[in-house]
Amino acid sequence: MPNKSPATPPIPVSDDTLNDMLAHMLPAGADDGDLYIEQSFAESLSLEEGRVKHISASTHQGLGARVIRGEASGHAYTDRLEPAALMDAARAARAIATGGGNMKPVAIHAAHPAPQLYQADNPALSVPLAGRKELLEKLDRLARSLDSRVRQVFASVSSSFSNIHIIRMDGAHVHDARPLVRLNVSVVVEQDGKRETGSAGGGGRFALSRMLEGDEAERLVQEAVRLAILNLDAGEAPAGTMPVVLGPGWPGILLHEAIGHGLEGDFNRKGTSVFSEKMGKRVAARGITVVDDGSIAERRGSLNVDDEGTQSGRTVLIEDGILTGYLLDRQNARLMDMQPTGNGRRESYAHPVLPRMTNTFMLAGSDSPEDILGSLKRGIYAVNFGGGQVDITSGKFVFTTSEAYYVENGEIQYPVKGAPLIGSGYEVLQKVSMIGNDLQLDPGVGTCGKAGQSVPVGVGLPTIRIDDLTVGGTQA
Amino acid sequence: MSTQTSSLNDLSQCLVDAAATAGAVHADALAVANTGNSISVRTGHVESIEHEDGCGIGLRAFVETPKGLAFASASSSDVSAAGLKSLAEQVVAMACISEPDPDAVPPVGANHPDAGAIADWQHKHPERDSGWTIDAARKTALDCETIARDYSNDITNSEGADASFGSTHVAYAASDGFAADYAKSSASLSISVIAGKGEGMQRDYAWHRAMHVSHLKNTEELASEAASRAVRRLDARSMPSGKATVVFEPRVATSLASHLTGAINGRAVLQKRSFLADSNGRHIFPDFIQIIDDPDHPDGLANRLFDGEGSRCTRRTLIKAGQLTGFLTDRYAAGRLKTVATGHARRGLTGDTGIGPSNLIWQPGQHDQASIIAGIEHGLLVTELIGFGVNGVTGDYSRGAGGFLIEHGQITRPVQGITIAGNLKDMFAGIVQVGSDMTWFGSTAVPSIAIADMTIAGE
Repeated sequence: MPNKSPATPPIPVSDDTLNDMLAHMLPAGADDGDLYIEQSFAESLSLEEGRVKHISASTHQGLGARVIRGEASGHAYTDRLEPAALMDAARAARAIATGGGNMKPVAIHAAHPAPQLYQADNPALSVPLAGRKELLEKLDRLARSLDSRVRQVFASVSSSFSNIHIIRMDGAHVHDARPLVRLNVSVVVEQDGKRETGSAGGGGRFALSRMLEGDEAERLVQEAVRLAILNLDAGEAPAGTMPVVLGPGWPGILLHEAIGHGLEGDFNRKGTSVFSEKMGKRVAARGITVVDDGSIAERRGSLNVDDEGTQSGRTVLIEDGILTGYLLDRQNARLMDMQPTGNGRRESYAHPVLPRMTNTFMLAGSDSPEDILGSLKRGIYAVNFGGGQVDITSGKFVFTTSEAYYVENGEIQYPVKGAPLIGSGYEVLQKVSMIGNDLQLDPGVGTCGKAGQSVPVGVGLPTIRIDDLTVGGTQA
Repeated sequence: MSTQTSSLNDLSQCLVDAAATAGAVHADALAVANTGNSISVRTGHVESIEHEDGCGIGLRAFVETPKGLAFASASSSDVSAAGLKSLAEQVVAMACISEPDPDAVPPVGANHPDAGAIADWQHKHPERDSGWTIDAARKTALDCETIARDYSNDITNSEGADASFGSTHVAYAASDGFAADYAKSSASLSISVIAGKGEGMQRDYAWHRAMHVSHLKNTEELASEAASRAVRRLDARSMPSGKATVVFEPRVATSLASHLTGAINGRAVLQKRSFLADSNGRHIFPDFIQIIDDPDHPDGLANRLFDGEGSRCTRRTLIKAGQLTGFLTDRYAAGRLKTVATGHARRGLTGDTGIGPSNLIWQPGQHDQASIIAGIEHGLLVTELIGFGVNGVTGDYSRGAGGFLIEHGQITRPVQGITIAGNLKDMFAGIVQVGSDMTWFGSTAVPSIAIADMTIAGE
């Protein structure tokens, strides 16, 4: 596990300009504020029709200036790191504050270093472009060799590296260097004129060379082909309310949609979440503990510090079925008289900070996965999912299966086509009757959208049984 | 033309030149600058003020190899001379690693608009701003939220109102000498309020976006729409599983239009990733359906003279009396599909060319929504869809839905916590009526759409 503390790279704006900006931005009446400077490098290779036809890259830098006063905030960004543009941003951010006068200049100084959960190097440097191209070509050949029904293979490998400097109103400077890699494979198969797809992916905050070690990449190809072939034979999913068993790992998206968003501080402070005023109350069955943990080494959802410089940690959201915590950025924590939890995140310098999840998962229980599946008289066993969505006010959520089976008397009968599962976030965890001993985290593929901003996240789940959930199939 | 646009023109031209110096045989480039402001208010107070000042450049460069042309693309926000040079060198180096594609189409000899067409366009679409100031936007947002909150005693909370405005300038240059630019402005207003309490809370919203503030929907109308929608949803519950006729109101029917444009995307067709890959020339809708792509419409937010490859855009009837007249293509997809490029290339600063419509107009029918509902014995009026249960390869469709139960021609109660399912091919063919209520949402205009025999999963 990496733990060396690397040298902090220089901030691409002079101390004098930063000091001028801070002094302008933080007049009397401001509660908080910061400057967020980001330099990011991203590269992506994609393969289709057997060829890596396209390589793309981006190099971006910019600054976001933020002033907070009570429930209000001013945010301005610029892509141009020149003094005139930067001062314009500082003045625009300040428009939210009422008081006059400027703050005394403060010395910009390094804050206490955060733990290093991931290597502070550009993950792309570990494998040259030509090596990444060869990897994709190898995966394409493998997919086609696995099954003659494979018609199309799409594979992509992408990496990014962001250097982030956060300068708080007291001059404290926090730096984080965030690597992120992702490998994706999807295939189209065809049999008797019928086409289906399957896909698989993985990644995290580590060097790209890791994706080439062992047989991880090959395993993703096998998984994508297996899912596509399985879908060729899938039957219609039932429509109606029935018990559902969720497999371990990525099905933890249930927690993300049904529970996680509803526990974000902004919605609860404003009273717009179904979980508002539920603190200390039972929201899940006994035995259920759900945590959000941004401090797991090298996970896609992990952060050394959040985008306000708060060190990441582990927040217990639900303990033995009782609601115990919210996910908080600094502004919402102050307004709710609570401590920030390291969940203040932004997609980039061009976006405002919102309370967001990191890695959200349920702790393991004691039931064996076989017993849980065996308990299903008639229902659905859902092993994998595509995306999900929630209305945090009504609590209604939907997430769609990508691998699921119809089960009778504890025995798998046949695979079913992608079907949405729909339920109420407030009720669903109260209907969990069995919790497996097989907690798994997802393979590193999650991206969460909120208010038009995307951030990488993780989820995890042991096998669980939910006594009733609405399955949106076509077989009424 | 403003100084800003002319300097953007210089930037895109300099990038194309830098690519040639770095060894590219062909290149095209974009330079984009955008400014914008956004004010959100909640419970009568300003909650946030945001200001954006963005700029970026993007370059696509082609190199010649013994096996054909290869290309790559990259973007940057560094517009210094050194930044342009290093971007050009980076793209050329990446292109040398890309695999050549015998079908690659370099940015040369597209069906560009001529100087006269460009002049006509600029005369018809003069550059102007959104017409809003921060103070005026703040006042409108505050008024909007107040009207919505005061609409009824059932309105218990608010997610606030948001007023945004801004403009974007884009300059494009290609190595065959074509260079042109355009500017766009927009103003938008949105409002979201909550009715009811505790576990019975319901949220709903309304929004509108236009090129100029004078074309925005009336503030009171928007506020009342959001509030009345939230109140009407109170006491929503599930409904029995079974078959029903489903009426998609315009704001959710836009998603059906985008499923169509996704499926007739020439690149998806090439890759067999579309359930309509084999449907060219077929009657995929009933004969009363007409769908048009119009790149020059008075209400269109996606008006454009040329597409992401500099190809001239023209009005096209995509669905004529129910029949699919062809696929949407860029020059690459057109070459592979042995047809003429339709001017639907879409480009970001980096990444390969994509394909998408301009202003999509689903032509309205004769009857209003109320008379469509009056003719339905058992059905569902859908006002909200959630989740991503659409398989573009097979057309399998199943999404979470909310709305209102229709019994014996009447709306009887609100519904939530259900899904609607079918297959898009069957759903398109199964449209029984479209409303006279065509409404614009962004660059898509759609009427209410009624589809028979969808599967409801509920209780």
